[in-house]
Amino acid sequence: MYRETNRYFKFDWITIILFLLLVGYGWLNILSASHVGETFNYLDFSQPYGKQLMFIFLTFILIVLVLAIDAKFYERFSSVIYIIAMLSLIGLFFFGKNVNGATSWYGIGGMTIQPSEFAKTATALAVAKYISDLNTDIKTFKDQIRIFTIIAIPALLILLQNDAGSTIVYASFFFVLYREGLPKIYLTIGVLLILIAISALKFGILATILGASVIILTYHFTRRKKPAFYKTLFTIIACSVLAFGVKFFYNNILQPHQQNRITLWLRLEKDPAKLELMKKREAYNLIQSEQAISSGRWTGKGFLEGTRTTGKFVPEQHTDYIFSTVGEEWGFVGSVFVIILFVLLLLRILHLAELQKSQFSRIYGYSVAAIMFTHFMINIGMVMGLIPTIGIPLPFFSYGGSGLWGFTILLFIFIKLDSNRINEW
Amino acid sequence: MAVNEKNILNRLYFIAGCMFIFALLIVFKLLTIQLVHGDEYKSMADDRLVKNVVIPANRGNIYSVDGNLLATSIPKYDILIDAVTSTNKRFEENIKGLCDSLSAYSGKSSAYYQKKLRHARAVKNRYYPLVRNVGYSDYMRFRSFPLLNLGAFKGGLIVEQTTKREYPMGGVAQRTIGYERVDDKGNITRPGLDGAFGAKYLRGVDGKRLKQRIGKGQWKPIVDYNQVEPKDGYDVYTTISSNIQDIAHHSLLQQLEYYKAEHGCVVVMEVKTGEVRAISNLARTENGSYYEKRNYAVWESHEPGSTFKTMALMVALEDKVVDTATVIDTKKGRKQFYRRYITDSKHGGYGKISVARTLEVSSNIGMATFIDDNYSKNPEKFLSRLSSWGLDKPIGLPIIGEGKPVIPKPGDKLWSKNALPSMAYGYNLRLTPLQTLTFYNAIANDGVMVKPRFIKEVKELNREVEKFDKQVVNNRICSEETLHQMQDILKHVVERGTGRSLYSPYFSMAGKTGTAKSEYWMKDWSENPRYVSSFAGYFPAENPKYSCIVIIHKPSVKKGYYGADVSGPVFKRIAQKIFTETPIVDEIETLTVKNALAEKSYQSYFDTAQTYKTIMPSVVGMPLMDAISLLENMDVDIKVRASGEGIVESQSVSRGTKLKANQTVVIKA
Repeated sequence: MYRETNRYFKFDWITIILFLLLVGYGWLNILSASHVGETFNYLDFSQPYGKQLMFIFLTFILIVLVLAIDAKFYERFSSVIYIIAMLSLIGLFFFGKNVNGATSWYGIGGMTIQPSEFAKTATALAVAKYISDLNTDIKTFKDQIRIFTIIAIPALLILLQNDAGSTIVYASFFFVLYREGLPKIYLTIGVLLILIAISALKFGILATILGASVIILTYHFTRRKKPAFYKTLFTIIACSVLAFGVKFFYNNILQPHQQNRITLWLRLEKDPAKLELMKKREAYNLIQSEQAISSGRWTGKGFLEGTRTTGKFVPEQHTDYIFSTVGEEWGFVGSVFVIILFVLLLLRILHLAELQKSQFSRIYGYSVAAIMFTHFMINIGMVMGLIPTIGIPLPFFSYGGSGLWGFTILLFIFIKLDSNRINEW
Repeated sequence: MAVNEKNILNRLYFIAGCMFIFALLIVFKLLTIQLVHGDEYKSMADDRLVKNVVIPANRGNIYSVDGNLLATSIPKYDILIDAVTSTNKRFEENIKGLCDSLSAYSGKSSAYYQKKLRHARAVKNRYYPLVRNVGYSDYMRFRSFPLLNLGAFKGGLIVEQTTKREYPMGGVAQRTIGYERVDDKGNITRPGLDGAFGAKYLRGVDGKRLKQRIGKGQWKPIVDYNQVEPKDGYDVYTTISSNIQDIAHHSLLQQLEYYKAEHGCVVVMEVKTGEVRAISNLARTENGSYYEKRNYAVWESHEPGSTFKTMALMVALEDKVVDTATVIDTKKGRKQFYRRYITDSKHGGYGKISVARTLEVSSNIGMATFIDDNYSKNPEKFLSRLSSWGLDKPIGLPIIGEGKPVIPKPGDKLWSKNALPSMAYGYNLRLTPLQTLTFYNAIANDGVMVKPRFIKEVKELNREVEKFDKQVVNNRICSEETLHQMQDILKHVVERGTGRSLYSPYFSMAGKTGTAKSEYWMKDWSENPRYVSSFAGYFPAENPKYSCIVIIHKPSVKKGYYGADVSGPVFKRIAQKIFTETPIVDEIETLTVKNALAEKSYQSYFDTAQTYKTIMPSVVGMPLMDAISLLENMDVDIKVRASGEGIVESQSVSRGTKLKANQTVVIKA
């Protein structure tokens, strides 16, 4: 195999090619979504497409740097990197710049940097490091708590900065922990939590409790080996409390715009007048996005030909709603192409992760796949109304330097670790 | 780690499965959005909110050969006001001034406008029209009015530009230049050149602009640039000369009015190039006025009558079956052919006359006799010659609606024993006026048949896009001998034949008269006879410059119907006027005055000065100073305007013109 002997082929080129395709295709769509007029200068740095081109250029420098550093460095200094990242998040409370309601940016000169994009990488390194430690046993409650703490610190800090979307991304570590042997009960609780939350909001607390009771009791009585009844009763009570909790959380803790997003997603609003109003306000972005995608049909309207894209109908189209550009200008075919690229990339990363001999590399690989999957799922899901609106970027696609660099570092550290796997025993 | 292999693998598959399922879910959702519910989304009112509005490109201009505008597109403006957008303060501050200005423009009272505008504001009218269809200068004026001068957002000014086609020469040659006709369904058809060259040159490429609907019938541009910039149409330079067109139009009109004819047409063509200098088609309306109803010259294929005798004679001469001197017995004005009588218009007939004379006097019997004698056994020979001149096929003009000629062949429905003798004098076949003219033009052009042309070149500003050159259809329609014989006979027609009433000793013309019965198959013909009077020819007879055909349908028989009486005078008037009214500047191409000739030059000046006292001499070729002094010392007081230096190259008054007092003469060096 080339990979083991040739210094250039030791990197996983499939991943790199997928990365390049995504970045390139992404840029074309940013150009579409942000260009003005018939003629434009690609190097116009006052425009998003020009800036992004510069970001992409800088990304290549970053890649060289990331790949140049010794693979062992990332494992050895993971805690340091983590601490630096957490400090940079904390620093936002003092020096941060507020953009769109979230205090997530440092303003340096004319540029802004969003440390939360880098904190994901740091957390992934820290989680990988901690789980791969010989003394860690994920089955023990003590270690579970510690791992959760590692994940929760950045998640909380980001939540406090009013960037709930990015916080949700940290839930992706759940996949990693699950793969590494987290007891199934967490998965069960997680799924139940989501089901009960949806049910409680959609069908009401009473219906949820009744429904849950029926299911749990059926389960209880149909089992050949009946579990202790107090366990079943406890589960029912837990479900009920959860249902109340969700409702309370929805009504009292969520901010109005978050409530609206969930209301829209679950179609809770029944009053047609209010719904009409919501469509014009809260759902405006989503409807514009869906219509843009819808208008693309099979093959799209063609590059730079999208009337809604050119007409700037979809707010934030070059950032979070970039996928709607793909939908409109490249149609179903182009959209599926993007999805295939992402799925291939994710499966490739999972595949490589499984090949890793070092536990650290493997866990890190899983983290990369999980984080990207979450972004991919939430972003594309949101753009099409499949899940509630949660503003996070589409990896490699959305406009933004921090996002692009954050994902690039995240991915290329893994490529570096992977290239080193023949040296690992 | 205590997790066993199988468990791990299951967990891996679970995660990968989750991802895969989600990807499928997305693809499914995409399918629903883009393909299944596509129409639903489209109908969500939004698509009707946005559209690519077409910005029509400016249609190209049409020019005459002498550079006058025949058709042009002029921007017109509708000016409206968004009565809501301005702030209360701005509205109140400016309304008085605006209404005063509007009042000054339209004459309606200022109070009237105040009432209207306040009402518009009260009912939140964002699209209140102030004035429609005004020109650019008025548009600029409106823009300077109070409130409106604050622009679209602060003042509420809405301007909508449309383009109107205008024909500065009015209805002249309208059918040929073209115009815009909008039918009930809103379809636009454009007859004439405007239509013929519309798609290819004049139309241009329409632009596109994305607009959003902001209210009923109101569209606001979304972005401040055009998605596609409109590209203006090219300009078409026609061969029409505005001067000659004017002459032809009015000559025809005058005659039609006098004879109360149903309709008529005239075409003037430049002999050498086939460029149509004038084309006029006029038809009578119920109230007796005339307008360009149809392009008769191009469209109307009819029995030409005697003008066709020229073609028939030429066939015989070219085939050498007769000679110009061959004697034909035309009897006493009545002769039977295949149980049908053919008569001549002269009572008592022409008796025995030569073939040449047959055409000069336009004897039907004579023509029928020698054509039938020589071709009845082999009519194909006669027909193939006609066909070789292209008379049986349309000319192939770019203008839509060209008439199809009809020349019957043996075996056709129209063919009979009598067909050939009838054709000999122009019946039982059909030609368009332009076809007949093309043939006469070929005789004038020494046997070279050129295709009639209406356009000379196509330009984009000053860049030439396409140039149309002379198109030779037939390099030599007949032998030199036949040609000279025909040219002589056509000249004699005017000098001593049916066209002698047109004869003028001052300038020579050649041509053939034609008087054809029209609708003679109808029963009421004998009590209400109808004729088509025509004249086709060229001038001057020697070295012809223009060929011309005049056809007048159904003149009032009480006033006359002979081609020489009805159509001939139009021809003559055109010929006469072209050579007197068209400003012709005498020009010489090269000037070589040698020093050795200085003496002679003075002598010539002296001679000229002695000879011309009241009549304009030719000063071309003379030194400018000499020319000025010569002209200023004439017996008549004239004003001399000179420009340039050196040798005189042109003079505005032709040599030989009688000068009037205070007349201005322009000379250029």
